[in-house]
Amino acid sequence: MRLSDLKEFESDTRPDWCPGCGDFGVLAALKDALVKSGKKPHEVAVVSGIGCSSNLPGYIRTYGFHGLHGRPVPVAVGIKNANPSLTVIATAGDGDEYGIGFNHVVHAARRNDDIKLIVMNNEIYGLTTGQLSPTSKLGQKTKTSPDGSIIYPLQPLPTILGAGGTFIARTFSGDPKHMSWVIQEAIKHRGFALIDAISPCVTWYNIYDEVKKLFYRIEDRGYKITDQQAAFNAMNDPQGIPTGIFYRTEEKQSFQEKLAEINGGKAPAESVQTLDRNVALQLIQEFA
Amino acid sequence: MENDETKGAEVTIRLGAAAGDGIQSAGEMMMKVLARSGLYISTYNGNQSLIRGGHVWFHIHAGTRKVYSLGYGIDFLVPLTQLAFDQHFESVNTGGAVIYDPSIVKPHDLQQGVRGIPVPLGEIALKYDKRPIMKNTVALGALTSNLGVKFEVLADAITDQFGRKNPGVAESNIKAAREGYDLVKNLGAQSFELKYDYSCTKPVLTADYAFALGAVNAGCRFYAAYPMSPASPIVHWMASHAKQLGLTVFLGEDEISVINATIGASYAGARAMCGTSGGGFALMQEAVGEAAMTETPVVVVDVMRAGPSTGLPTKTSQGDLNMMLGISQDDFPRIILAPRDSADSFYTAGRAFNLAERYQVPAIILLDFAIGDGGYSTVEGLDPSFTVDRGKVVSVPSPGAVSGGWFRRFALTDDNISPRSFPGTPDLMFVAKTDEHDEWGHDLSDVNSGLKEFLPLRVKMHEKRMKKLESIKKELRLPEIFGPTGADITIVTWGSSANPAREAVQRLRMQGVSVNSLEFTDLYPLNESEIKRILQVPGKKVALEANYTGQFETLLKRETGIIMDAHIRKYDGEPIYPSEVEKGVLSLRKEVHAVV
Repeated sequence: MRLSDLKEFESDTRPDWCPGCGDFGVLAALKDALVKSGKKPHEVAVVSGIGCSSNLPGYIRTYGFHGLHGRPVPVAVGIKNANPSLTVIATAGDGDEYGIGFNHVVHAARRNDDIKLIVMNNEIYGLTTGQLSPTSKLGQKTKTSPDGSIIYPLQPLPTILGAGGTFIARTFSGDPKHMSWVIQEAIKHRGFALIDAISPCVTWYNIYDEVKKLFYRIEDRGYKITDQQAAFNAMNDPQGIPTGIFYRTEEKQSFQEKLAEINGGKAPAESVQTLDRNVALQLIQEFA
Repeated sequence: MENDETKGAEVTIRLGAAAGDGIQSAGEMMMKVLARSGLYISTYNGNQSLIRGGHVWFHIHAGTRKVYSLGYGIDFLVPLTQLAFDQHFESVNTGGAVIYDPSIVKPHDLQQGVRGIPVPLGEIALKYDKRPIMKNTVALGALTSNLGVKFEVLADAITDQFGRKNPGVAESNIKAAREGYDLVKNLGAQSFELKYDYSCTKPVLTADYAFALGAVNAGCRFYAAYPMSPASPIVHWMASHAKQLGLTVFLGEDEISVINATIGASYAGARAMCGTSGGGFALMQEAVGEAAMTETPVVVVDVMRAGPSTGLPTKTSQGDLNMMLGISQDDFPRIILAPRDSADSFYTAGRAFNLAERYQVPAIILLDFAIGDGGYSTVEGLDPSFTVDRGKVVSVPSPGAVSGGWFRRFALTDDNISPRSFPGTPDLMFVAKTDEHDEWGHDLSDVNSGLKEFLPLRVKMHEKRMKKLESIKKELRLPEIFGPTGADITIVTWGSSANPAREAVQRLRMQGVSVNSLEFTDLYPLNESEIKRILQVPGKKVALEANYTGQFETLLKRETGIIMDAHIRKYDGEPIYPSEVEKGVLSLRKEVHAVV
C-alpha cells in the first residue's frame, strides 16, 4: 500500500487563526498522524463544533462536518455508527467539549464509541473575545472575571477516566512529534480516545511560555500504563504539566463492535434498500 | 337516524382499572379478539403518567365496516375499580351493559336501559392462580361471551400474550377466562351479536408502529431516540427488530445527541431518523437548522402530547405545529407532514424519506398520542412496494465538480439542488458547514463575511435553499375530501383530527345534514393556489383541531388568506370525540339557518 503524503491532506484554504496560535501545531500534527497511520483523505471524517479551533475541518483535506457548538461528538458517533469503516475524528475546543457539550463526552467515553476526540484546550473562550472557560484557572482574569475567576477549573481527564474512558491522553501543541504520536496511537485504539491538546491562545490568554516551562512527557519519566489508579496519580501533578498517554485499555469492545453483534455488521450507510416484500408483509402480519 | 342495521354493525367497549391492573394488555387482547373476528378496530389508551394506581382505561370501537375513531358512547363498560365505574357509567349507551365484580364495584345510578351484569371476577381469578390481576382475563371471558364471539379466539389471544413467557400462566388465564365466559353464557345474558368472520383477520397497529415499519421498508436502518412518551413505541419496535432486520438503534444521552447523531448518520450515507415528543423536539431545534444549513436530509418524528412543558405526558394534543413552523434561527426550508392514521403513517414514512433526500431538507412528521401510542387502527392491504429515491447522489466527479481539491457540494443549480457525495467516496471531499458557505463548502462567515464581493453569494446560497420550497409544495399531497363533494358545511381537519370528523360526518349525514370534511395531511409548504381553489366551497368551513389558538387555521390564513367561518378546538388532553364534532357542527348549522 502506498502511503499518502502530506500534500494530499493540504487544503487550499488558509487557517484564519491568529499568527502563533497553538491550533496550527495541532493541525500539522493531525495531518502527520493521518499520513503515518496510512489513511487516505476520503477515509477520514473530521467533525468540529464552534470556536476558533473548530474551524479546523476545511484546513485539512478530508471529509468534514463543521457543526454546532458543543455537538461534534454526537455527529461523529452518528457517522461512525452509519459507516464504521471511516476514521472519525472530532476536533474542538474546551468550550465545546468541556462546557456546553461535556455531557456527550462522558457518554461517548462510557459507550466506548470508536471516535477520537482532540480537544484544543486554551483555558479561555477565544472567538467570543476572552471569557472564562470550564478549564480557566482559579483567579484567572478575563472579561467575565475582571477580579479573577472564583470557579475551580474542571479536571476533564480524571473525570473521563472515572466515566470509563479507555484512552486518555494529554499533549502540547509546542511538542508536535509527541502530539502526532499520541494521535496515531489514538487512531489504533479500539474505542474512544480523549486527547487533551494544550493549545495556547496567543491573543486572549497566552500561557505558551508557562506550559513550555512546566510540561513534561510521562513516558520520559518511565511511566508505564497500568491501572486507573496509577493513571489518576500521573494526571495529578500540582507542580508541573504531565503529558502522555495516562490510560489505555484494549480490553473493552467498542460500541460499534457491540452494535455489529446486534445488527449483523450491516452498516446503515450500506443498507439503504427496501425490505424484501415477504419480510415486510410478515412484519405487518405480526400485528394481526 | 339509527336503524338496527347500523346499530348492530358496531360496538364500543371501555375497560377501566388502576394502573398495574394490566388493563392495557387486557385491552390489546380484546382488540385482537375482535380483529380476529373480522371486525375493524379503532382504540384509545386512556393512561396516566404513573406505573401503579390511579385510573387508566382502554377504549375499543369495533365494527363490521371501517371505523375511524372512538364511536359514540360505551356499549360495554368493564370497570375493575369503583373509580372506573364512577368515571364512565354516565357514558354507557341505552341498551348497553356494565360487567362488574359486585364485591368491588357498587353500580349506583345506572340509567334506564343499561344492564348490570355482576360477575365475581376476583373470586374466579383466585380459583386458578393466586394472582388477582387475572380478574381482567375473567372479565374478558365475560365480555367475549356477551358479544357472542367464540371462546377459542380469546384463548388464542391469551396464549399470544402470555404463552411465550410462561405457558403455565397462559393456561391458568385461559381457565379463568373460560369460567367467566361460561358464567355469562349460562346467565343467558348475551345481548349483542355482530356478524363475525373468523377467517378474516386484519392487522391492527398504532401510527407509531406503522411509521417505524414504513421507515424501515423505505431503507431506514438508523434510528435514534431518547425515551419519551408517546414516541417510545417506535424505539421499542426498532429495538425488538434490530437483530432480525439489521437495524442500528441508538439511544442517545439526550435529544440533542439524538438528532446530531441522526444528522451524522445521514451525512455518512444512511437513511436516518429520530423520534421524540414536543419537549424533546424543543431540544432538537438548533440541530434541525443545522440539517437544513448543511443540506443533510433527516426525518424527525414528533408524537405530540399535551403541553406546554411537561404538560400532560400521556394525553393528546395537536399543539406543536407552531413550533415546527418556527424552528431555529432565520429562515430555512422544511417539510411538515401529519398522517391521519396508521395506514397513512406507513406510507408517509416512505414519502418523507424520498422528499427529504431528494430536496436535502429536514422532514418533520407530526403524529400524536391519540393515534400514536395506544391508538390502534385497522390497516387493510398495506402495500410495501416502494422505490427508494435518493436524489442527486454522486460517486464520481463530473467535469467542474472539483476545484482546489474540494467537491462542489453546494453547487448552484437550476433546480436549486446540489449533487451530494458520501464520506468514503474518493475525490469528492467537502465540508458540511453550519456557517454560511460557498459552493465548495468554504466559509463565508469569517474572512469573506461582509465583503461587498461576497454579499451576492450569501444571497444566492440563502435563496438556493429557500427556493426548494417552491418545488416541494408542488409535490405535496393536497387535502382530500371525505364524504360527497359539495356540502353546506365542510369540516377542515389536519392529521388525526380527520378521524373523529369522519365518524361525525357519517352520523350527521344519516340525520340529513349536508356535511363533509376536508383532510390536510401535508401541512408545509402549502400549495397556496391549489388550496385556494379547493377551499372555494359554497358552504361554511369549520376548522377542527386539538389546540387552543387554532394553529393550522392560522397557518391557512397566513399562507392563503382563507378565513374559516367557525372552529372547534379541544385542549383538555382527551381525544376529540365524534359526538363533540357533531355538536359543534349542529350548533353552526343553527347559525346558518338563522342567517338564511
